[in-house]
Amino acid sequence: MAAAVVSRGNVSGLENKDFEKLAIPLLDGLYNFARWLCGDPDEARDLVQETFLKSLKGFSSFRQGTNFRAWMFRILRNTFLTSRTGLERRNTQQEDEEGFEESSVSQETPEIALIRRANTELVQSAIAQLAPAFQEVILLADLEEMKYQEIAEALDIPIGTVMSRLARARKQVREHIVLTLGGRRTVGVK
Amino acid sequence: MTNCEWREKIGLYVDGELEPREEQAFAGHLQSCAECSAAVLEQQALKKAVRVAGKRFTAPPELYASVHRQMQPKKSTGLWLKASALAASAVLLAMVAFAWISRPSASNATVGQLIDQHVIMLASVNPVDVVSTDKHVVKPWFQGKLPFTFNPPELAKDSPFTLLGGKLVYAQHAPGAELVYQVRQHKISIFIFQSRDVHGDPAAGNQTFVVNGWQQGGLQYYIVTDASREDADRLRELLQDANR
Repeated sequence: MAAAVVSRGNVSGLENKDFEKLAIPLLDGLYNFARWLCGDPDEARDLVQETFLKSLKGFSSFRQGTNFRAWMFRILRNTFLTSRTGLERRNTQQEDEEGFEESSVSQETPEIALIRRANTELVQSAIAQLAPAFQEVILLADLEEMKYQEIAEALDIPIGTVMSRLARARKQVREHIVLTLGGRRTVGVK
Repeated sequence: MTNCEWREKIGLYVDGELEPREEQAFAGHLQSCAECSAAVLEQQALKKAVRVAGKRFTAPPELYASVHRQMQPKKSTGLWLKASALAASAVLLAMVAFAWISRPSASNATVGQLIDQHVIMLASVNPVDVVSTDKHVVKPWFQGKLPFTFNPPELAKDSPFTLLGGKLVYAQHAPGAELVYQVRQHKISIFIFQSRDVHGDPAAGNQTFVVNGWQQGGLQYYIVTDASREDADRLRELLQDANR
């Protein structure tokens, strides 16, 4: 009988076995995020693998106390942005963020019923139609349940931009649902 | 549209971004403001819909396995280079000794396969084919599927181990059994093959998983787990006792 428990080098107070413990639980979320970004399973798989490789190599620069999840998502997103698909999407789907006022609020309750009636496919279609900058913010906020500060770190943007993009993304998702289920009636946003 | 002075806070409230005192004040405000209440309900419904719909893709088990392989020591030489010359010599000596006393790379590949199998089990929504905590259900399930038999241990009521079930596996083209146990938050895979079919050097494990192996009664057993070595040893002893 023999047993093998090997540990590797100590880096900045953290050992590389700590990396695996921290990173593996994020794999599913990272893959889901990658699939939304890439739209292709093979590319998403490569992106996640590259993210793990880069983050493992860069683990020595990771400082305890900083947000590991935001760090991992940031590496994945930066890797994506430098990929061919990422560059193409960035160049073709920029949207104007100016002139948007936050908090699109409705006093009409029928929209709430419509949103609740929306099936998963409809909401997925609404998310898929978002510009990448909005898509990534709404996924990190609502799916990964990241705080604004975390999202700002992951995407390397100011918190104010996180808030405006999130509000804009939600407005577009809402409009897509309401227009699809409620016909061409007034959407009820400002 | 609401002209309420609080309307700028609706998104922050729904996302849990308000300071506790402000959140409390906003919650109080919702009691008297129908417009803000409706807006909050709508944002919450939207947030929930996105959360459900956004969770669209699950990482395939093979991605777990390949990412895990990436993190094995041989992939990262940079850290080893930092070791002192003395430590490097000791490691080299140990490697040479292992290489000499154990089988060549095919055996390491076997252990690698078993680790992959364990990782796939961890990631799977259906980790076992026969789901039962009763060894009298799990053991008969393998009858007719394997050319050998074995005895899962009888677990005491206060045992930290729980049998979760079993499944049929293959390694080196030979059929075997995988028994899955739970100990606290960890899962343990026990792989059982005929000794003449499967050989693997348990020392070919990695930094994350404990790999234990032994031969008994013509069968080759392996334990793969991320639980502690002590837990692995305790379960090994139970299995050895049950098969004496």
